[in-house]
Amino acid sequence: MADKLEVKQGTLALMILKTLEVLGPLHGYGVARRIEEVSKNRLTLNYGTLYPALVKLEQEGFVTAEWRPSENNRRAKYYALTAAGRKQLAREARDWHQTAELIAAFLTPRDKGEAT
Amino acid sequence: MSDLRAALARIGGFLGPRSDDDLREELESHLEMEIAEHERRGLPRDEARRRALMASGGLTVAAEAVRAQRGLPWIESIAADLRFAVRTLRRSPAFTAVVVVTLALGIGANTAIFSVVRGVLLKPLPNRDGARLVYLRHSMDGPGGSNIAFSVPEVRDFRTGAPAFSGVAEYSPFTLTLRDNGDPVHIDVGLVTGNFFEVMGLSPVLGRLTRPSDDGPGVPPVMILSHEFWLKRFGGNPDVIGTQLRLDGKPVTVIGVLQSAPFFPGKVDALLNMVISEHHLSAQMVEGRTHRMTEIVARLAPGATLQRARTEVATVDARMQSEFKEAYDPGSHYRVSVIPFKDALGERARLTLWLLMGAAAFVMIISAANVANLTLMRGVGKEHELVARAALGAGVARLRRLLLMENLVLALTGAVIGTLIAIAGVRLLISLAARYSPRANEIRLDGTVLGFTLALSLILAFLLSFVSSLPKEGTFASVIAGGGRRASGNVRKQRLQRALVIAQVAVSVVLLAGAGLLTRTMLRLADMQTGLTTESVLTMDVQLLDFTSADSAADAAAKQTYMRMQREILAQPGVVAAAVGYPMPLRASIVQLEIKAEGRSREAGEAVPMAEFRTASPDFFRAAGIPLLTGRDFTDGDAAGTQRVVVVNRALVDRLFPHEDPIGKRVAWTGDVLRFTPFSGDWRTIVGVVGNTRDGGLEAPPRAAVYSPFMQESSFFDGLVVRSDSNAAALTSAVTRIVRQMAPGTPIENVMTVAQIKDESVSPRRLNAVLVSSFGILALIIAAVGIGGVLAFSVTARTNEIGIRMSLGADRGRVQRMILSEGGVLLAVGLALGVAGAYLASGILGGLLFGVAPHDPITFIGVALMMMCIGLLACWIPALRASRIDPAITMRT
Repeated sequence: MADKLEVKQGTLALMILKTLEVLGPLHGYGVARRIEEVSKNRLTLNYGTLYPALVKLEQEGFVTAEWRPSENNRRAKYYALTAAGRKQLAREARDWHQTAELIAAFLTPRDKGEAT
Repeated sequence: MSDLRAALARIGGFLGPRSDDDLREELESHLEMEIAEHERRGLPRDEARRRALMASGGLTVAAEAVRAQRGLPWIESIAADLRFAVRTLRRSPAFTAVVVVTLALGIGANTAIFSVVRGVLLKPLPNRDGARLVYLRHSMDGPGGSNIAFSVPEVRDFRTGAPAFSGVAEYSPFTLTLRDNGDPVHIDVGLVTGNFFEVMGLSPVLGRLTRPSDDGPGVPPVMILSHEFWLKRFGGNPDVIGTQLRLDGKPVTVIGVLQSAPFFPGKVDALLNMVISEHHLSAQMVEGRTHRMTEIVARLAPGATLQRARTEVATVDARMQSEFKEAYDPGSHYRVSVIPFKDALGERARLTLWLLMGAAAFVMIISAANVANLTLMRGVGKEHELVARAALGAGVARLRRLLLMENLVLALTGAVIGTLIAIAGVRLLISLAARYSPRANEIRLDGTVLGFTLALSLILAFLLSFVSSLPKEGTFASVIAGGGRRASGNVRKQRLQRALVIAQVAVSVVLLAGAGLLTRTMLRLADMQTGLTTESVLTMDVQLLDFTSADSAADAAAKQTYMRMQREILAQPGVVAAAVGYPMPLRASIVQLEIKAEGRSREAGEAVPMAEFRTASPDFFRAAGIPLLTGRDFTDGDAAGTQRVVVVNRALVDRLFPHEDPIGKRVAWTGDVLRFTPFSGDWRTIVGVVGNTRDGGLEAPPRAAVYSPFMQESSFFDGLVVRSDSNAAALTSAVTRIVRQMAPGTPIENVMTVAQIKDESVSPRRLNAVLVSSFGILALIIAAVGIGGVLAFSVTARTNEIGIRMSLGADRGRVQRMILSEGGVLLAVGLALGVAGAYLASGILGGLLFGVAPHDPITFIGVALMMMCIGLLACWIPALRASRIDPAITMRT
């Protein structure tokens, strides 16, 4: 339990977009499970974190939502990436890589990280 | 781009259909999938569900978070607070009703009175740069001397001697007879100079106004209709421009219609150039320094201040008085004051209106205090609820917002109902204001007034929200630890409640004292001895002669007509006496002249004796009910060409012959002004003395008067006085028929019984008294409810204590006395403060009182007793309830 992490502001949207890109249209439960799996259960998402983020992405036009029968014949709301969502994902991913590199460069001891 | 889209989506989410069902379904499907997953791993259904729910973090919390993302959270939360407030208030309908009604009365009274104050006193004049207009008032000592107007030479002096004025306009009030297709009427006109409208800053709505080229003799007479008269007489017909009307028999062309604007001293139907009245262009008028018939309105020059104008006017006045000593009797103290035109228009209304505004404000204070008290008491009951809410995570700011929302709902509902009350009240108030101000038609519930109402109710809501103190942030715990059930609230709160009750009582006493003084004034006036018997006398003004076109032949013919009318009326059944004369009983004469007694010289410093000129036919005194004290009445023998005789009143005898028998003594009109009048300065022998009558307002002191025989003077102003043996008003149709028949072209005006004339001075006072009294009674009721409520609350809070006292042997009487004395102390302190306040405040009422001193002890004692009785009665009910407390029951809870 000690190594559970809070979802960082702004990173959740990126994770959701990436999940939808990799797995295709998916319901909220699937998205949550996938994020938890990928994070090796270090992240847990409660509904109050996940669903406002989904609504926000929908408002911004990056995802669309649609009710469909689920795999075990229940109804579920499926979210799918839009073209704008794909572009946003690419842009955010690039930004995030740059930020991560920058932070890493800052935090890495000098003698090892000078190469770039 | 996506931000804009998100914003639009949010607004859409706020406005659009709520998709709460959709969201719930989605969350539940999520939950189900998670439960199914746990079950697949072999957990029992209950355990699976428990784990899924724990992981969810709470469905409601999630739904709230989504809603916050989806819509506009702050508006939604305000809307939610509003819904919550309405729901809470609906749960305590009695509280809500009392508060709303109390606030509505306070707000309604204030809105109505403020609309009048604004319309009559505050609103900028419709005149261009109206703030730069000033009115010049010429006054002297003595009755009728408060506004004596100016002569043309005086106007000229001010025009040349006061460069602080960019223009000085002349305006001479006059009466003309209009004869067109309708009934003949007298119209009030102003004869004006060509620069008048330029100075006044007024524009026409139709046609043109007069210009300097319309001045002087030899130009055609033209008239400009006032807006009101145009609507009333001509139905707003634009074709009236260019038509000719007959005024005093002369054709006058209508050249324009003026914008709606107030005039001083009174309303005006039309404005004409001077040429209509030969007299106004005569040498007498133009050169006579004491021939004062002209009002002055002037415009301050750019950059000039009122102060500079006053200095210059004072300088000119002083120079005039030293240069023309014969025109300014030093004993009469002639003086000129410069008053902003707006203030002059509001002068007569000011005191009354501010008095009413003050009374309304007092009612507002008492209402607000009452509501504050109710809120405080309810606040104690709500403490529990608030603590519970705080424990659930609501911050102080949030709780304050809830309170504010509740009070806003209360105050705004009160404001809406109050405005409806005001709409009803304003009609009544306009008729009140019309007696005092030419601007009554400007009274409106307009945007400014409604803004005032809104501001008032917002301020009330804010104040009320901050009366009840909320615990400081972080101290809720101690409140909870304290049990949250200290129903009497804390000491501070109780002290505040008591202070509010004391204030209510005190303010009520002040209001009631004012109401008492005004009521006594009104009663005094109504009881006033008029000096004549008012029953069964009908009067009417019937002016057979036109001012501007009468000659001696017309005058003689008019006298014959009057006598024929008199004989015909006398022959009617029910008529006891009929007579001709001027003025009508209880009216003041517009002619007041200097008078002298034969063989009597004025003492040094003594003001010039003045007397009213009046006329009377034989039997006038009997018909009017004026008592003949000594000597004889006029007879038919007192005709033109016989010895000049007069009857004088008591006041004149007291002035000129204090210790002598006046019969047989001689008096004569005198003074510079006599030249401009049709009256001669011949000696006249006194043949009779009549009693004083209260002419020109019941509160005015009796004026010296000299009656001449109707046949010996010109009959410009005459009217008819008819005494009936029963109901005078019933004679109206018979008498007007006779007059109409004998003088078809003559306006019949002011058909009134003497009782009605008397009531003219009483009724404004009655309206004052009624208004202030209703405010006072309203205040009294609210204060009684306030004091009773606070005691009742205190009894509830002390139920336990009282139960203990009673079980320890206190009897019912003792408990009652305990509660009564608690209320009695509040009452006594409030009374003391109120009487002191009334003592200070009633001084400003002085000008509205008559026959009652501002510190009238009877009124003060009466008001104090009344407040005490009502207050004790209000205390009695909770005291009685306290004494009925059953110790057995209270101890158990």
